[in-house]
Amino acid sequence: MRAHSEVVRFALRAIAWLAPAFAVWYAVAAWEARPAAWLAAGATGLVDKSVVNAIEWEGRIVRFVTAIEVQDAAGQAGLMLIEVNPQLYTYGTALVAALMLASRAGWRKLVLGIALLIPFQAWGIAFDALAQIVRAGPQAAAQAGIGGWRVEAVAFGYQAGSLIFPAAAPVLVWAAAQRQFVERLVQAQSRRDTPG
Amino acid sequence: MDPRALPRSAYRFLTIFVVLAAVLFAAELTQPVQRALVLPWTEALARAAVALITLLDPYAVASGRVIESTRNGFAVSIEAGCNGVEAALILAAAIAAFRAPWPKKAIGIVAGLVAVQALNLVRVISLFYLGQWSLAAFEWAHLYLWQALIMLDVLVVWLLWLRWIDGGAASHARA
Repeated sequence: MRAHSEVVRFALRAIAWLAPAFAVWYAVAAWEARPAAWLAAGATGLVDKSVVNAIEWEGRIVRFVTAIEVQDAAGQAGLMLIEVNPQLYTYGTALVAALMLASRAGWRKLVLGIALLIPFQAWGIAFDALAQIVRAGPQAAAQAGIGGWRVEAVAFGYQAGSLIFPAAAPVLVWAAAQRQFVERLVQAQSRRDTPG
Repeated sequence: MDPRALPRSAYRFLTIFVVLAAVLFAAELTQPVQRALVLPWTEALARAAVALITLLDPYAVASGRVIESTRNGFAVSIEAGCNGVEAALILAAAIAAFRAPWPKKAIGIVAGLVAVQALNLVRVISLFYLGQWSLAAFEWAHLYLWQALIMLDVLVVWLLWLRWIDGGAASHARA
C-alpha cells in the first residue's frame, strides 16, 4: 500500500474538499444552473422549431414554457409546462471543484473546469425536458418533432444525461486539465527514483 | 511541443473510452441485458445489503429490488443509477481503453468491480438508515453526495490500477 499512498492521500483530500464544495454549490445552485438551462432551452429547438418559448424559475426549479398544445381532463387547452430540477445535472460542479482543489489546481483551471461542464449539464436538462414530452404522449411528441427513431434517441440521451454525464464528466474534465498531476500520481516510485 | 497539449496517446484513450462506454451503456439499456443481468444483479445487491444489515438489525427484509424495514415500513428501491452498474461500466471502459496487457486489464476490471460494489453496498445501507432518520438528508445524499463519492471511487480505483501497471513496467525496465 505504501506505493499507492499518494493516490490514497489525494483521495482523502478530495473527500475533504467535497463537503465545502457541495455547501458552496448548493448555496449558488439556482444561479449556477442558469447557463446550462438556457443552453438546454436552445438545444431542444434542435429537434424541431422552437419547442421552448420561455424559461421561468421557481426557486431551484426551472420551468420551460413550450409551444406544445395540450388539453386537460376538462378539455381546456393550454401550453405544456415542463419542470426540471437542474441540480440533478449540475452537482458535478462540486465534484470537479473538489478534484481541482485536491490536486492543487489554480483558480483559472477551477473556473475553466466548471465552465466545461455546462454542455454536459445542458444535455441532461434538455433530455429531461424532451423525455417528459415523450412521456406526455404521442400527440405532444409529434408537436415537438419527436417520432420514430427520435423517441429511442431521446430515451438514450435522457439515460446518458442522468446516469452517466453528471458524475463522469467532472472526472473526465479534471483528468484532462490536470493530466500532468495524474501522470505524477500514477508513476511508480521506482520510475521516479531512476535518474534520466 | 506545448506540454499543456494532449498527446496522441491521450486522444487515443479518450476516443476508445468514449466509444466503449457508449456501447456498454447502450447494451445495458436493452431489455435482454436488463432481464438477464441488471435486474438479477440488483436483486442480489438488495439481498446482500439485507444480509449485512441483519447482522446488527433484524428488522430488514429484501423483496426483489426493495429493502424494507419491518419496524416502521420505510422502504428503498434500488433503481438504475444506484445499483453500481453504470459506475462499473465506466471503470471497465477506462481500464479497457488504456494501453496495457490484457491479463492486467482483466485483473483491474474484476478488482475494480469488487471495489465499486463494496462502496455501493455502503451507499445502499447508509441510505436505508438515512431515509428513516430524515427524508431531506436522504434525498440530498441519494441525489448528489453518493453519486459523487461513487465516481470518486471509480477514479481512485483507476488511478491505483494505473499505478500498479506502471510499477510492473518499471520493474521490467530494470530487469
